[in-house]
Amino acid sequence: MANTVIGNTIVIDGEISGDEDLTIRGTVKGKIALSASLIVENSGTVEADIETKNVEVSGNVTGNITSTERVELKSDGRMVGDIKAPRILIADGAVFKGNVDMER
Amino acid sequence: MATARTPTTSSDGATIIGESVHIRGQLNGGEDLHVLGRVEGRVDLERTLVVAQSGIVKAEVSVKNAVISGVVVGNIHASESVEITREGRMVGDIFSPRIIIVDGASFRGNVDMGDIANMPARKPSAERPRPTPVARPAAPVAPARPAVTAKPGAKPALAPAAKAPEKPAERAPEKAPEKAPEPTRPATVTPLEPPAAKGLPQKAQKTRVIVKRK
Repeated sequence: MANTVIGNTIVIDGEISGDEDLTIRGTVKGKIALSASLIVENSGTVEADIETKNVEVSGNVTGNITSTERVELKSDGRMVGDIKAPRILIADGAVFKGNVDMER
Repeated sequence: MATARTPTTSSDGATIIGESVHIRGQLNGGEDLHVLGRVEGRVDLERTLVVAQSGIVKAEVSVKNAVISGVVVGNIHASESVEITREGRMVGDIFSPRIIIVDGASFRGNVDMGDIANMPARKPSAERPRPTPVARPAAPVAPARPAVTAKPGAKPALAPAAKAPEKPAERAPEKAPEKAPEPTRPATVTPLEPPAAKGLPQKAQKTRVIVKRK
């Protein structure tokens, strides 16, 4: 399946929208709107407002996340911004600064 | 989970924009980019842009190589080559030293291959970024295409590398009609003229033509 991958050396400045999983290994600035999962890998950097179903952060995220299902900050994830989601997981080792809202 | 999934989709440094994904804005990078979805804005790459059949790019594109099987609206500046495959459609200008437009492709725009006068002769072995044999078979238009690419020598030089077996077969019938008329003319004339007139078959022909017109 053709998953969408933003590779290491790619820098996107703008808006990404879609209905499929998105894996970010490079840099994205702007806005991300997905009806599927967003995965920010170790090498990935996101400076954007994010609206998705699921988010998995192993890299760097700066911006607000609004998720309809779940946000997970992995142990090597770093995030600055507000999270709004019914389920929020923050693993041991993750770095996070911001507001959390689990209201449904 | 993420690590388990990703290796199957893109092994190394290739970026994929999936079918349902729409990017608007600026995209820079140093690796290959495969567009199956939509990209609007600007694309600057140090490597190859591949627009798949389902891909739509409406952007100013600046890359090393571009292979277009989808739709591109916008200008492309390529430092090496641009190829529009059989499925490709493009509206915009192309600036590239090598431009390949395959039979079946649709293109509207200007082509600029740079300083044609000082261009070195190309070797048949010239490194194409990715030979797409699938798009080649329907090449009977190949002889006519150099007019589009504005460099008659380019196509024959490239083609033999890609499909050596088929090319000679095509060219043979093409040359045949050129030579054929000359032998046939005297043949048709001789029955009408006495054997002595054989030395002037052309005059005899001219008169015949006039008669036909009247």
